Amino acid sequence: MTTSTKPPLILLIPPAILLVAFLTGIGYLVVESLRTDMGWGLGNFVDFFDRPDYVAVLIRTIVIALASTLLAGVIGYPIAYAIAQYKGNRNFLMMLVIMPWLVSVVVRTYGWIVILGPKGTLNSLLMSLGIIETPIRMIFNMTGVVIGLVHVFCPFFIVSVLSVLLYLDRGLNEASQTLSAGPIKTFLNITWPLSLPGVITGAILVYLLSTGAIVTPLLLGGVRDGMLATQIYQDVLQVFDYPKASSMAIILLLAAFSLIIPLQLLERRVAARVSGMGR
Amino acid sequence: MRVLRSIVLVLLFAFLPLPIIVVALSSLTKTGYFTIPLESISLRWYIEFFTDQQWIGLLLISGAIAVLVALISTTVALMSALVLARHKFTGSGAFETLIMLPLVFPNAALGVAFLGLLGLLGVSGTYLGIVLAHCIITLPFAYRPILNSLRKLDPAIEEASMSLGASPGKVLRTVTLPLLKPGLISAFLFCFIVSFDEATITVFLIAPDVTTLPVRILTEIQESASPSSRPSPHS
Repeated sequence: MTTSTKPPLILLIPPAILLVAFLTGIGYLVVESLRTDMGWGLGNFVDFFDRPDYVAVLIRTIVIALASTLLAGVIGYPIAYAIAQYKGNRNFLMMLVIMPWLVSVVVRTYGWIVILGPKGTLNSLLMSLGIIETPIRMIFNMTGVVIGLVHVFCPFFIVSVLSVLLYLDRGLNEASQTLSAGPIKTFLNITWPLSLPGVITGAILVYLLSTGAIVTPLLLGGVRDGMLATQIYQDVLQVFDYPKASSMAIILLLAAFSLIIPLQLLERRVAARVSGMGR
Repeated sequence: MRVLRSIVLVLLFAFLPLPIIVVALSSLTKTGYFTIPLESISLRWYIEFFTDQQWIGLLLISGAIAVLVALISTTVALMSALVLARHKFTGSGAFETLIMLPLVFPNAALGVAFLGLLGLLGVSGTYLGIVLAHCIITLPFAYRPILNSLRKLDPAIEEASMSLGASPGKVLRTVTLPLLKPGLISAFLFCFIVSFDEATITVFLIAPDVTTLPVRILTEIQESASPSSRPSPHS
């Protein structure tokens, strides 16, 4: 290759500026989280874990994120599988998955208020049918938050799994069927293990996005169903205590990473095993 | 068994577009709620939106921010991809990881980090600050598609045009960029959509008179159940 097809390194200066800005923000976050009224230390973190309501919020955040991840998988995997198996025009099915993505999270979340809210579609339908007398409380609680999060982040799971399923060697399936394994056995022994890397990537994405979500818990959660992210937002809004907010952001980061890092290690092992199997 | 499977699949597929369809339908009702049986149909929410200076202003501002962010991010991502796809130097892998890094941070934590950063830079509560934050979070979305199209591009084409005497600048303009067009377009669109929709991080960066459309809709829904905010241009 001639040297002149190699673009000059000077081009990296603008991206470097953005990256330095980003790292400065993260660094500042870490430093500020250690600032307390009595000098530097872990005081903010101690204060956090001394407050039972904050600990409850942290636990609720993890529970909601895990539940959303699990449900997104239960709903997303069959959809991805159906798209991959579909013989006809896949693009239409893909559109159904990707279209919601193009619509603002705020609007999509609002849709659930319209459907499940006290004056919403479902309640009005049930009341006009005479099944119920007074509206049922379906959202503004943890269930509402989970429904919203699953809906908003499910496409990420579907696309992760689909990106693996679409590149599976169809020959493997046929081989398994010719060797007289039924469709269920073929799925369990061939498709499922080979799609695991996609499942793990999808689960990581949904968990990560759920822990950091603000819009959905704010709109679909009750007053007492805050997640760590909304708690941070409300604390920043009410009392501008940056060190406290940054220590809570660090706790949020750790809550996210403590699950993701083991999952990523698992993904590497699975991927290594799968690529060994495929050959 | 087959029928049951089809029913389950139809329900699963209906789940994703459902709220959007309901929002679109209810934006045409008088009460703002799509109820069954259906009540009278009206365009009042749209009239309210498009006759309100404030909403139109926010629509234009969010659009302008998104275009600016998409332009900057796509350009910066192109620069990074051009270098990183052709050069392998110590730290080039790390550089790439850094570009993708904002993706693995929970959004709320990013919001707090950007709040601090903008304070440090003296641009807190300004549109400039929002643009900077959006550029950082959209960079990975721009980088990936551009890198993918760059990887598909055969360096021999560039070498051929160069051996025919084209200057590096001319090669870039007449050969490389036209071939990268699909990647550049999807990068631009990704960035535009992410920036235009972004509310989770932006809520930390707004000031009383500096806000974006999705954030304003969010606060509007929170403050009142009145859905006049709802017929956003998106729905």
